[in-house]
Amino acid sequence: MLLVLVACVGIAIVALPIAGLVARSPWTRIAEIATDDATLEALRLSIVVSTTAALLALGTGFPIAWLLARVSFRGRVIVRAVVVLPLVMPPVVAGVGLLAAFGRRGIVGGWLDRWFDVQITFTTGAAVLAATFVALPLAVLALESGLRSIDERLELAAATLGASRGYTIRRVVLPMLGPQIAAAAVLAWARALGEFGATITFAGNLSGRTQTLPLAVFERLQTDPEAAFALSVVLIALALTVIVALRGRFLR
Amino acid sequence: MRRVVVYAVVTVLTLVATSCGGAGNVDEGDEGVELTVSAAASLTAAFTDIGEDFEAAHEGVRVLFNFGPSDGLATQITESGGVDVFASASPAWMEAVAEDLGVTHRADLARNRLAIIVPTDDPAGISSLEDLAEPGVHLVLAAEGVPAGDYAREVLANAGITDAAMANVVSNEEDVKGVITKVLSGDADAGIAYATDVTAGVAEEIALVEIPDHLNVIATYPIAVVQGTERRDLAEAFVEFVLGPGRGTLDGYGFLPA
Repeated sequence: MLLVLVACVGIAIVALPIAGLVARSPWTRIAEIATDDATLEALRLSIVVSTTAALLALGTGFPIAWLLARVSFRGRVIVRAVVVLPLVMPPVVAGVGLLAAFGRRGIVGGWLDRWFDVQITFTTGAAVLAATFVALPLAVLALESGLRSIDERLELAAATLGASRGYTIRRVVLPMLGPQIAAAAVLAWARALGEFGATITFAGNLSGRTQTLPLAVFERLQTDPEAAFALSVVLIALALTVIVALRGRFLR
Repeated sequence: MRRVVVYAVVTVLTLVATSCGGAGNVDEGDEGVELTVSAAASLTAAFTDIGEDFEAAHEGVRVLFNFGPSDGLATQITESGGVDVFASASPAWMEAVAEDLGVTHRADLARNRLAIIVPTDDPAGISSLEDLAEPGVHLVLAAEGVPAGDYAREVLANAGITDAAMANVVSNEEDVKGVITKVLSGDADAGIAYATDVTAGVAEEIALVEIPDHLNVIATYPIAVVQGTERRDLAEAFVEFVLGPGRGTLDGYGFLPA
């Protein structure tokens, strides 16, 4: 009985803010807000940035997860700690770190600016980089746990039958890892969609180039809270669509 | 199991009771009273000093500051209240609070000029306002709605370079301090902020390019007591302190007299 009560409190804590947003959204204005230029730009940018970031997180996350799960090497503990670090870093700190590395005076950014006259800050690429940075640990953790859970003997069997490492990964491991890859993709995408602190600190805030939905909501909030509520509902609707479309399959 | 539940319930009740006991305490005297002041981001340094001086002059009083963009602060006040004094970087946002909740004891505390801020190494070679229209300049402004952002756009319009300059804008920051940050980190070529934002602390890393008077905008900062505050007398005293002894502090930071 107590378990049920506590569970209800927990659900309420999550459900009430969403209910509040829906209740206080100016439903008469929501059509106008949801379709104005700034909103559509933010929506488009959010989808592009999150999807790209999720793909990058998966693409770079899989080799890292493979190394951590299948290869024993010195310093494995350190590598895992470093890769998981963005997860526990406050997003603004992540943004400051990205500036320190890739900003115009940064250790890599400075070199890019001096030798190639390339600046990463204030570009959509910077928004993608910030989103990938925070999404990568989630992808790695999900993929690593997936790799640990599948039967290695199947890979050995493939090897004894003459399959190369690459063939084994493509035709044996990845298909078996299907649900875990989907889980990693959804987690990474969701985290990338919600990213705010690192984006606003490192990429800046410009409609059409770096202003993703969370940044647009924040900007609106300063002057027109009702519009911010409506925009928030748009963001939640987007996230909800994806979650419902996957119908909890990624949780298995 | 039952014992754990009892402990948990007692803990929660205690936490609730103590937090309820703390808030909403209105004392007759000055004993242990907190005054909440929302002030524009550009007033951060000056008001922090004024706050310390006020606390020294009023035993037992603590001044708590919310610094941020005037538009965000005004919206926060009208949405959730809890603020005793509001100091805005533009009359517009003071009007917004006045119309919604009402204000008393309103007065202008200072004025400020706008200026172009560049990193000391000046990578884009900005030496005048017109240079901001040069293609390829990475310009950072405060967002529309933030007083510094609106004033900056006014300055650009006064100079007739709106289209070219706005095409150079790479970021709209949430408040004027964000503009300083982007210039400090070296990522922006230039920003438009207040002349007072080049404080001693950052003078080594950022430089000021003057905007000619006939093109410049002079910002007026109103201050007022928010209607409905539970600490009306103390709030009024703070406003008077800012307008009295606080004037010296504001002058010291480069604010113009009201």
